Formats: sequence, C-alpha cells, structure tokens
Amino acid sequence: MQASRKVRITALIFLAPTIIGLVMFRLVPIAWSFVLSFFDWKIFDTPLFVGFNNYAHIFSSPTAHKVFLNSAYFSAIYVPGSILLALTLAVLLNNGLRSSTFFRGAFFLPYITSTVAVTLAWRWIFSTKFGLLNNFLISIGVDHPPAWLADPTWALPAVAIVSIWKDVGFYMILLLAGLQTIDPTLYEAARVDGATPMQRFFRVTVPMLTRSLFFVMILSLVRSTQTFEITYALTNGGPNRASTTLAFFVYQNAFVEFEMGYAAALSYIMCFVLGLFTLTNFYFRKRWVHED
Amino acid sequence: MKTIFTTIGALVLATGMTYAQDTTLTYMSWDPTQLEVEQAAIAAFEAANPGVTVETSAMPPKDYWPRLSALAAAGDLPDVFMMSSGFVKEWAAADNLADLSGVITDVELSEYYEGATSVGLIDGKRVAFPQNWVAPVLYYNIDMFEAAGVPMPTADWTWDDFLSAAKALTIDEDNDGNVDQWGMWLYGRYAHIEPWVFRNGGRYLNDDETALDLNDEAVNALRFLTDLVNVEKVAPQPQEMEGVRQQDVMALGMAAMWVDGSWNIANVREVAGDDFRWGIAQVPMGPDATPETAAAYAWADMLSVGSNSDNAELGWAFIQHMVGAGREASDFLGGKVPAYIGIATSEDWLESDQMPANKGLLLEIGAQNVYTGFSKSWSGWRGYDSTGSSGMNGELDEVLNGRKSLDDAIAAFVLYGNDVLSR
Repeated sequence: MQASRKVRITALIFLAPTIIGLVMFRLVPIAWSFVLSFFDWKIFDTPLFVGFNNYAHIFSSPTAHKVFLNSAYFSAIYVPGSILLALTLAVLLNNGLRSSTFFRGAFFLPYITSTVAVTLAWRWIFSTKFGLLNNFLISIGVDHPPAWLADPTWALPAVAIVSIWKDVGFYMILLLAGLQTIDPTLYEAARVDGATPMQRFFRVTVPMLTRSLFFVMILSLVRSTQTFEITYALTNGGPNRASTTLAFFVYQNAFVEFEMGYAAALSYIMCFVLGLFTLTNFYFRKRWVHED
Repeated sequence: MKTIFTTIGALVLATGMTYAQDTTLTYMSWDPTQLEVEQAAIAAFEAANPGVTVETSAMPPKDYWPRLSALAAAGDLPDVFMMSSGFVKEWAAADNLADLSGVITDVELSEYYEGATSVGLIDGKRVAFPQNWVAPVLYYNIDMFEAAGVPMPTADWTWDDFLSAAKALTIDEDNDGNVDQWGMWLYGRYAHIEPWVFRNGGRYLNDDETALDLNDEAVNALRFLTDLVNVEKVAPQPQEMEGVRQQDVMALGMAAMWVDGSWNIANVREVAGDDFRWGIAQVPMGPDATPETAAAYAWADMLSVGSNSDNAELGWAFIQHMVGAGREASDFLGGKVPAYIGIATSEDWLESDQMPANKGLLLEIGAQNVYTGFSKSWSGWRGYDSTGSSGMNGELDEVLNGRKSLDDAIAAFVLYGNDVLSR
C-alpha cells in the first residue's frame, strides 16, 4: 500500500512539469479566451463586459457570413482534394513505383519546407503578367488567362491548391503506413478469385484502409479550418475578402484591429462548428470504417 | 572656499549619480532599418548620460503593433516607443501615453514643423512628439515625359492637365492591343487615393469622426480616379500587376506617373538606379477644392513615453535627443522629412545632387493645410496592411478591376466601415 502511494507521488512529481505547463499555457488561456468572448476589449484599452453582443454581431454580420462560406468552400476543396491525391500517391508508392524512396522524399518535402518561402514561389507562379502558369497558358493559345490571386473566382481555389500541395505528403505517409499493414494474402485471394486491379483496389484496399482514411479525414478537416500562413503570404485574404477564411479573420480581428473579445467569440464559434463536424463523423464512423 | 568646492563636488556627484545606478531605458521602433541608422545617435545619448543604457528593439509594423498592444495589456510598455498618427488618438484615450505637456517651451516648439507637432497634441495634452513626417507625392518619369513631348508637372497643374499627360504617356508601342507603357499606376491603397481626395476638398468622415459620410468632393475624386482605369484606360487594372510589388511598378518603368508616400523615394532610388531620370511633384489640386477645403495629406512618425514608465523624465530627454538638432540629416532616409526645421532645410537633407532634384518640394507640402484623415479603427474600415484586401481598399479594387460600380462599392464600404466604427 505504502509502495503504491510512493509510486503515485513519484509519478506526480515527474508529471508535474507537464501538467503545470498544460494548465498554465493551454487550459487557462482556453478558458480565459472563452470569458473574453463576452467582453469588448481593444487589447490596449480597458475591457468592457458586453454579454452576448460579440456573438450576436457575428451572426448578423454579412462579412462574417462571407468568411464562414469561404471557410466551408475551402474545406470542400481541401479535404477531398488532399485525401484523393494522398491516396493516389500512397498507392503508387506502395505498388513499387520506380525510385519510390526518392518520390517519397520528394512528395514529403513541401510539408517540411518553410511555408512563407514556398508561398512566395507560388506567388510568382500565379503572377498575372510574369507568372509561370499564365505564360504557359498563353504559349498554348489561351488569350486571357485569369489573374489567379486577384480574381475572386480563383483566389480561394488557388490558396486551397497550394495548401493541398503543401500538406499532401504528410497525409500520403499516413496512408502509406496504413497500406503496408494490409495482409498481402487478401490480394492473393482476390487475384485467385479473378478480381481486376480496380476491383482489388475498391474491394480490398479501400475497405482495409478505412481506419487510416478516417484519421486523415479528421486531421485534414481540422487543418482546413486552421489555414493561415498560406493565405497571409499568398492573397492576404483578398481580393475583397474572397479568400478570407476563419483563422485569417480571427487573426485580422485580434492582431490588426485588436478586437480581442470579438476574435475570441469567432474562435469559439469555429471550435463549436469543428467539434460538431468531428462528432458527426465519429457518429457515422461505424457505417463505413472497417474494424479488425 | 573649501565649503564651496565641497558643495560643488557634492552637486557634481549627485548629478553624475542620477543615472549611476545603471538605468536601462527601453526603446521600441517599427523600423529596423531606421533603428540601425539611429545607433550612432543612441550611442551619443548614452555617452552624454553615464549610467544609462538604451535597450532597443525593432520589428516591422505588422509585428510591432501586436507586440506593443500586448505590452500595454500587460502594463509593461517600453519607456519610449514609436507612435503613429493613425493610432495616437486611441492610444491616448486608453491612457497609455505619458502627458509631456509643459516639457517644451514655445520657443523650442517653433523649431519644429507645426503640422507635425500638432498631431501629438490630443485634448490639450502632448502625448507624442514627431521625429519626422511624410507626405504622398506624384512621382514622374522625366525621360518618358520628354520622349512623349509632355510638359513636366507644375504646381498649378489641374486634373485635366494630369489626364492629358496620362493619355499621352499611355503607349502601345507595337500596336498589338496591349499597352506597353502606362500613363499612371494606382489601386485602392490609402496613399494612392487620399492625396487626390483631400486635394479636392473631400472628406470621408463626419465631423466627430464617428461615421463614414462621404462628401460630394470625395465621391467626385473617387470617380475621377476609377475612371482613369475604366474609362480613360490610362492606368492598368490592379489585377494585371498582381505579382509585381506595388512600389516597383513606376520604378521599373512600367508607368510614367504614380502617387505614393515620400518614404518611397528610397525605394525608387534603389530600384530605378540610373535607368531613367525622375522627379516628384505635388498632387494636382482638384476642381472642387477651395483654399479652405483643399488639404495636403501628410502625417508624422512620433515618439511617446509609456504612461507606466519609471523613467519618464529620462524618456523625454531621450526623445528630445532623437528629434532635435543633434541628429544628422543622413539619419532620415529618403523622403522622411525631419520634424526639426533646421535639419530639414539643410543642404545635407535636401540632397539636390540626387534624384529627385526637387526634394525640397516636401517642405512646401508641410507648410500647407494638412489633414491626416485618421480615426479610431482606421485600419479596419480603410483596409491597411494585413486587412489591405478588405474595407475601402478592397471595394475600390473591385471597381478598378471592373467588377463593381463605384456607387455599389461606396455603399458597401460605408456600410462595413460604419459597422467597424460602431463597435
């Protein structure tokens, strides 16, 4: 009994730095930001309690509505785009693509490269007059290629494309790990039964990969709501807020206009929506995720 | 005699000991390049005040304001820090700035540009003191003007004169339907638009600066500017220039004229080099302006002492040192005009051997009726820096890109701006 108590105390002592750090730097700020969402607080001024005014304003603001729609649109491109591309790359690598070690590194490289640096390269690619993409399009006969980053139709998809390009290597590695856990005898059995490669993919690979796919889906959904650096460096949320998503809008309110209470309220709405989506996904999980 | 010496000795010791306890004065700047230039002046201050160490830090504006705001929230503001004309009212209202009233005499004050010193005077309290001031000007490419046979801009240029010149300077050299040289370059940025609006007697805000209420002169100026792109076709749509730094368009020889802040003189010198000759002119006076309503757009970069500073007196001494006669003209880069008249009028600052040869024009602008147009939450409703693609800037770009009418854009940014101002 005494030994058990000693073990518990020792464990607590070793865990204390982590627990204290977690409480001080995570839980307290999270709770405090919730309290802040009920205040009108220009950060360099005295906070003023305003009840639910920040929330009411967000729900009635056309600008906030536009930002929520942009966020949903971004997620609708980013999540399926990332998963499909990552799955394709993972399957190609798993099926013995020549120089697969090289390609594995090449596909993963953007993920670990400085976001601002690669985004500046993409700015050049998307540049209207001197960009690589438009000069290529003109060379193949397109008369008036779009101003990718200055056109409201294209700015958000452009941000999504760069975000997918940046993150797909990470998702690919996760799916590749999942693919390598699939028992090869399942493929053998399918082959013996006369299944075509396509049938093997949809009847063996996809069902056996659903747990990894579920994980990647939740992860990409969360990341899609957090896009900031690429938006900041590529379009600055423009033109005219066409590519402003929630995380960037929170940044603008908190650190440009210094409306901390309003920004906190936005963050909690984002948190609530994200939580709702995640719970929904978990609810439907058992319908399509195969458990061993 | 011994008593006298003892007394004097004690006084000297007491004076010397004022800062003998290794006082650290913290100073924060939004201009890392400028801070490097200032190091000599800071070292001179330390040498003149034994025991004092000035601890400096600098970061670009997009990092500076969040950091300074967080320090204000924590009650830990630097002793001395840069203060913008755009934010001084809000910061003073929040009691973050020490009141320096009475620390400078009228005689001393007369040695500085009045337009610049008045910006830091809020509700009768002197809460900031100018180091330098800046003003947007019309940059023009002399070689292009000469090649097109167009007379150079003059102080009595009208908007019609400007438009005629812009037309003559818009050139499609190979007649392929694509313009090779634009007469003008602009987008919805404050420094591109407001100089024209204010020179036409235009105002965006109501009298107490609590709401957007554009007068006719402002609307007329905005129509004139947006027509330059959509009707007159003498300036490119902003989206065509996406990917080119806005401050480089004229400097790279893609446009003959451009209006932006005088601080860009340094950039044009660097980018254009000796590729072409260029000059600066005043933004032409608008047709609706009267001598009473016309205003030059100019504002000051200032220094303030934090209201919670334990070294307020020393902080003010530091400000006096940094803004006064002891500074070198070369400390003020490009088109930053020293607030101290003696330096601004010196040949060293005027640099008549460099382009633009007529840099003294800035001093004429500073002597005019100056208006800043700033209000609380200005960056929010106007669209500036990280919010530059939204607010008024974003809406005007929609007009300039041919996707919206000016009337719709005005209605949209007034609605949005008033929402921001009402929060």
